[in-house]
Amino acid sequence: MFEPGNPSVETSDVARDPVLDIVRSPVKVTLQDLSLGDHECSARVQQLRKAYFDACPEVCIERPQLVTELHDELAIFGKPRYTILDKARVYRGVLERREPIVWHHEARDKHGVAFQFEGNSLLAGSTTTRFKGVILYPEFMALALWPELHTLPDRAANPYQLTAGDADTLNRKVFPRWLDRCILEWARAEVERRGEPAEVRPDFSLLQHLVFFLATKPECVSHTIPDFSRAVREGLRAVIDDARRHAGRATSDAQRMFYQAIAEVVEGIITYSHHLGDKAAAMAAEEPDPAKRRELEALAEIHHHVPEHPARSFREGVTTVWLCWIACHLENANVGLSLGRLDQLLHDLYRQDIARGAMTVADAIELTCCLWLKIGDHVPAVPAAGEQLFGGSGSNQAITIGGVDQDGRDAVNDLTYVMLRATELLQLRDPNLNARYMPGVSSRAYLRRLCLANLRTGATPALHNDEAVIAALTARGDALAHARDYGVIGCVEPGSAGRAYGHSGAILLNLTSALELTLFNGRHRHTGLDRLISIATGAPTTFRTFDDVRCAFERQVRWLVGEAIKVNNALGRAHQAFHPTPILSALFEGPMAAGKDVSEGGAVINSSGMAIIGLGDTADSLSAIEKVVYREHALGLPEIVTAIEHDFVGHEALQRRLMAPDKTPKWGNEDPIGDGNALWIVQLLDRVVTPEQNYRGGGYRVGYWTMTNHAGFGRLMPALPSGRRAGQNFTSGFTPVSGMTPYLPATLNSVASIPARYLTNGVALNIKFTPDSPPSDQARLELFTGMVEAYFAGRPGRRDGGEGAIPGGMEIQFNVTRREDFIAAVHHPENYPELLVRVSGYTAYFKDLSPQMQEEIINRTEYGLASGAASHAEPIYLAPRDSADPDHQGVSC
Amino acid sequence: MLRTLRRKVLRLLSRMFSDQTAHRMARFLSRKLVDQLRDEATDEFLELLLHGMEIAFALGRSYRRDNLEGLRARYVFATRDGTVGATVQFEDGDMKVFDTASDQFTARVRFKDAAALRRFLFAENQDVLDSLLRDEVELDGNVNYVYKFGFMARDLEERLGVAA
Repeated sequence: MFEPGNPSVETSDVARDPVLDIVRSPVKVTLQDLSLGDHECSARVQQLRKAYFDACPEVCIERPQLVTELHDELAIFGKPRYTILDKARVYRGVLERREPIVWHHEARDKHGVAFQFEGNSLLAGSTTTRFKGVILYPEFMALALWPELHTLPDRAANPYQLTAGDADTLNRKVFPRWLDRCILEWARAEVERRGEPAEVRPDFSLLQHLVFFLATKPECVSHTIPDFSRAVREGLRAVIDDARRHAGRATSDAQRMFYQAIAEVVEGIITYSHHLGDKAAAMAAEEPDPAKRRELEALAEIHHHVPEHPARSFREGVTTVWLCWIACHLENANVGLSLGRLDQLLHDLYRQDIARGAMTVADAIELTCCLWLKIGDHVPAVPAAGEQLFGGSGSNQAITIGGVDQDGRDAVNDLTYVMLRATELLQLRDPNLNARYMPGVSSRAYLRRLCLANLRTGATPALHNDEAVIAALTARGDALAHARDYGVIGCVEPGSAGRAYGHSGAILLNLTSALELTLFNGRHRHTGLDRLISIATGAPTTFRTFDDVRCAFERQVRWLVGEAIKVNNALGRAHQAFHPTPILSALFEGPMAAGKDVSEGGAVINSSGMAIIGLGDTADSLSAIEKVVYREHALGLPEIVTAIEHDFVGHEALQRRLMAPDKTPKWGNEDPIGDGNALWIVQLLDRVVTPEQNYRGGGYRVGYWTMTNHAGFGRLMPALPSGRRAGQNFTSGFTPVSGMTPYLPATLNSVASIPARYLTNGVALNIKFTPDSPPSDQARLELFTGMVEAYFAGRPGRRDGGEGAIPGGMEIQFNVTRREDFIAAVHHPENYPELLVRVSGYTAYFKDLSPQMQEEIINRTEYGLASGAASHAEPIYLAPRDSADPDHQGVSC
Repeated sequence: MLRTLRRKVLRLLSRMFSDQTAHRMARFLSRKLVDQLRDEATDEFLELLLHGMEIAFALGRSYRRDNLEGLRARYVFATRDGTVGATVQFEDGDMKVFDTASDQFTARVRFKDAAALRRFLFAENQDVLDSLLRDEVELDGNVNYVYKFGFMARDLEERLGVAA
């Protein structure tokens, strides 16, 4: 483990900077040793963590079975629309009927063999009946697992255990009821019914081809942060009382129904907690071990008090969050639902317990570890093809720490460091930890501590620049105080915590398809050049200037964005009609005042988000065309098109030239052409996307993060003018193309010079460091910290139409693992079960990623910390997984 | 006519057999399908698959119980060039096959060739991805019914003793 000595509070930092004296609240950070390096995992946490890594996810049928039964019992199936009260009654029923599980002591390994384990969590309850469960949502995409019900335990990529009896129940009792009732089918049926003209009619077949865009609403909305503050501070009983008061003043039946629905579901959450308390009390009565009995009695008392009433202790606060979190996942698919700023929410309770001697820092770390393990107690249900193309992702439950408060003051506190330490100790995929840093306000000691955590874990937390993010959010109209209170959603997307219902991952757009349509006059090689897919914008022979190319590209971008938004809005209307969300609305700022569900626009902020895949590859392709065809006149555009049609076979010299950064401009080297095209694309997308309106009356926001989609889309796409060959990965997130940027400072300058106001849905800049350079731990940490400081520092505006000073880079995330270790992990995944990596936004276990995604991470540009220079390693290529043995993937380098 | 008669006779016979015997008989009567599930798929694959499924439904009580209860759907399978096509109607616990591709369907699967259809329905892991990568299968209508058919096909494969 990386040990540079303990970073501690630097009072000299405060003294040196008069700004810090004003804005920092000294009482918030009382820890002398910010690294908390003396604290290790407790025996309890060690036992739970070991079981967690030994356990294979098991499909849990409790939720789908209960939800289906209740839809039948309440005669909801068959209704033309499901009301919010219908859904509230279903969820209340599920919460009241589900099995209250206090402690798990059994799980199954990857061979399906049951094993027992010790370790009693400090938190009771679970999202599924399994220790590590796969939650199924038949309302969304669970039916995609149908063909695999007999083969899930044996599949090569990320197998799930499923008993024959449970498979039979799903096949006969659950799935058939939802054949015509999932979101995608509702949306398609509605579009058929409306019979709209072709120009406004969403074309769902585009989704099926996979190469244009993915719309994620058939699977979820989820990507948001609930507001737990009321539940923690006032208790859920107060929410029910408030709903009843509002109902008395309601002006419409719809509002009255909304408030009734809120009271129903919140009552359900309280009942579930009471059931847990009752079960713990019953277990205590029969428990011979006095220590365990006391633990059970404590759990019983806690669950009979919270979340119904205000939390009185840090543990009760954590329990309230956990219970609400279970309820949120009962209603909303486990994709990107995020927890927000827990270090802010729970700090008062933490401080109070520490001050009165009711809790030690070690206790707080142990409890936080238990919460982290609970948060990771479920995984998303992904079919085999999805695993291969886009897999390896967890539920992407982001937690945000640090940053400034709503008044702009430093918000870092002791609990921030406790959460960091828990993250280091556990090194879990979920939750996905994100740290905020405000230049000039946050201390350098804090930044150094964040960098230390990255060196220790190799991959977490991701770092966010408050100055840039707040500028981006306010540019889209968020109030300053709301923008300052942002949390990270899913991967890297910023949204005002508890206020922004933003479905930040609504659309994942493959930008390279717009380029493909430009170069092939509205056709796409993946769907066949004999078929006009979009609009004819001219053959390459007709583009006389580079502006002609850009003009055609802009038209294709407008078409692609327009189609994606039509599909997203149609799917959103299906959510409104068939999946109202009373639980989320009860835990959100806005719906109570407005008297309407978040899916109807009840939140304070109602945006939708688009993530762009392939920015670097598209920018480099445009730059190649600009330089080679229109500046040097070395070739005509048709010759380049011919070369990419042949995947550069027979055109190897041209490919070498296009791939050489010293001959062809690339984004990320401070080259005016390379960076200019990237900026032009970002501005174009801002211009095209942000004026669009979603189905809730909110706007669209654009971001540049890719999860694993840069590998998935890359695999589907033919060769590009950048020199990239068919099937190769695209670059991840907001990162220049791997192997094209030899010098890190130039890369960081290029990326940071794109103004934050165009990046309102977040960015993921992935940087890979060689951990051995320099050899001294202390020197490494200092260089690391200095590099982040420089990247986050504001700079004069450039190449942006005379814009003044702009904030520095918005986000950065790291992989600090030796290339040899990655390659060894490919060959022997059993030796690296816990190797954590940053993909493009979220963290993942390296062994769970598809070979293509592993290849992408290994081949990312790797920089030395001391020199900032890229190392020169030959790219490796990995063969697909062999389905026979998931441990030994048949991988060759 | 003959098909209907055969189905009815096999159903009557199925009352006399255990499920195991029924599966053995189905396997015997679907020898060509078993061969094509193991080796190369020819242009006959779709016909053999539907024939095998029809026999298995007629003979196997548990196969019927597990898959046909309440199912009401019309599937259309066709090659992209239109040379091969069939319509399958599931209704009242029965399966009927027609030799032409109907315009009316709950779900339609259009595929490049027999191998593509086999990859799509039966393949494990990588082959499913390959069919997507090659864009060799197109779906229309309600895709949930395709998932349902995928389960029935794999269930058949298992009952015929072909699945790994």
